[in-house]
Amino acid sequence: MSNNSVAISIDRLSKTYPVSFLRLKKAFRRKFKPPVDALRDVSLKIGAGEIFGLIGPNGAGKTTLTKIIATLVQPTTGTVTVKGFDSVSEDEQVRRNLGLASAEERSFYWRLTAEQNLLFFSRLYGLSETSAKQRIRELFALFELEELGKRRFAELSTGNKQRLAVARAMLARPPVLLLDEPTRSLDPIAAARMRATIKALAQDDAQRVTVFFTSHNLAEVEELCDRVAIISKGAIRAIDTPRNLQAQHTEKEQVTITFDGVRVADVELALARAFSDRFFRVEQNQTSGEGDLKFTREVNDEMLNNVLRVLQQSGAIVRAVETQRATLLDVLERYEKFQNPEQ
Amino acid sequence: MIIFLRRIGAFVARDWRVTVSYRMQFFLRVLSILIVVTTLFFVSKIFVGFADPRFSQWTDPLAAWLTGLAVLNYFMTGFSSLANSIRQEQMQGTLEAVLMTPISVPTVIVASSAWDFVEATLYASLYLVFGWLLFDVHYRGSFLLALLFLLLTTFVLACLGILSASFAMVFKRGDPFGIFLGTGSALFSGVFFPTQLISQYAGTGISSISRILPPTYGLDGIRRVLIEGEGLSQVREPLLTLLLFLVILLPFSLWVFGRAVRRAKREGSLIQY
Repeated sequence: MSNNSVAISIDRLSKTYPVSFLRLKKAFRRKFKPPVDALRDVSLKIGAGEIFGLIGPNGAGKTTLTKIIATLVQPTTGTVTVKGFDSVSEDEQVRRNLGLASAEERSFYWRLTAEQNLLFFSRLYGLSETSAKQRIRELFALFELEELGKRRFAELSTGNKQRLAVARAMLARPPVLLLDEPTRSLDPIAAARMRATIKALAQDDAQRVTVFFTSHNLAEVEELCDRVAIISKGAIRAIDTPRNLQAQHTEKEQVTITFDGVRVADVELALARAFSDRFFRVEQNQTSGEGDLKFTREVNDEMLNNVLRVLQQSGAIVRAVETQRATLLDVLERYEKFQNPEQ
Repeated sequence: MIIFLRRIGAFVARDWRVTVSYRMQFFLRVLSILIVVTTLFFVSKIFVGFADPRFSQWTDPLAAWLTGLAVLNYFMTGFSSLANSIRQEQMQGTLEAVLMTPISVPTVIVASSAWDFVEATLYASLYLVFGWLLFDVHYRGSFLLALLFLLLTTFVLACLGILSASFAMVFKRGDPFGIFLGTGSALFSGVFFPTQLISQYAGTGISSISRILPPTYGLDGIRRVLIEGEGLSQVREPLLTLLLFLVILLPFSLWVFGRAVRRAKREGSLIQY
């Protein structure tokens, strides 16, 4: 990744709570509140136009990392740069390049309308009255909030509040978006539209928006993210594409082959002859009359190819092949179980 | 500068909209000022013919009380609104969203307390206007000079307000400046009675408290201008004292505030309350 194409760069970042202060305060804290390493030696680079997911259990350090990138918290050691600007010494420049949408409902003024809220924040971004109103109209159209602009924020549904939060993050067209569970309260259709919007922002050559995305919805992370980092106990355990993570950390996958044109018993016999040491489950589907062959294989071994050859030799017509690998949840659970550094 | 003013305007517009969404509260506040002024008018009638020549500012006690209350209202806004604005944004949960915009923490504090000053100006004026319109209270002297005293004292108190905001930022609650100034000003600054009475009845030790409170000098200056009609040369002493307060407190409070913001960011407690 060249320096120009790096949107967020995190280098040897650590954060320890609480920070020592006056001797008195320190003495009290020593009794009740031992220091916690919220982040430990985190390093990563995120490219322009990349959708980057951060997953991990509660208390893993996701929020702390997001807040440090957003300049709301300062690191204990290490550096974060956003579009080349340092998050501590050039924090205002960083915020000019960032939009944060959190799942926090209270981050708006409940007595103001949706439009008045966005107008207020666009003025803080330095937008003129005309361009702010124009931008708000565009965002309301994008998130289907046109009808709700004149409603007080307090009267909006949870899902609409969440859409408004993402719209606010996009007010000043920042090249980097930090999204904290952006679809948590959305209905399935609205969630799918939100994902499509996020994808379009990243893929649009004119904008190439970088999206830093935290979520507990692992299927969504799998669908959206170019790369995923797994964070646990404040340390990054792995960074890769969702597919590679699944492949690297789970050895087996379940294969289901649907076939026709030959009896189930004949297939069973052919398979037993060819692979005497393997177990296959072959069933007749009572509704369609087709046969379903199920077996487990090592990821990337030759077994699938060999089974297909045997099926064809026995006269079967293959209708469908489905494979089911472990999900990101399996990967996450595996890290939690086996990669605890304390053990 | 234009962007700074635009941001201040954004906060004022926001708070104006929130205020007008609570119309009843606004109406009741105006009514309560009218009731206080009316009550003080009747209380002042007890003292007709009893004016003590030692207390020249108190020959018309109603005028002295109204200027005292109007100015105290303004001073307390200068002092408390900076810390309150941060605390309120923290408690509402909006501070994080505001701080995510390219705006500095000092600007947030100044801008989010701007509406309080607009409100305080309105309410402070109402004390004087009700007194003038309904109860024949007359003010003389230079209004500009009185305004200079008002602004100077407000700036001095705003410095203490910055110290108070620094406390709010690090310790969240428990503000020693608030307790000292809030309770102390009404008693020791001569809002309701001449400060000379404190030394007469409580001794010089206690009365020296009033000498270390900036509102004492602000209030004295404003009354000397508006009630006694004194000019710049006669009110030089309280004016210079207030300037001295400002010269010492301004750099100190800004330095403390910078440290507090850095501290809160390192602790990650900027948005906690």
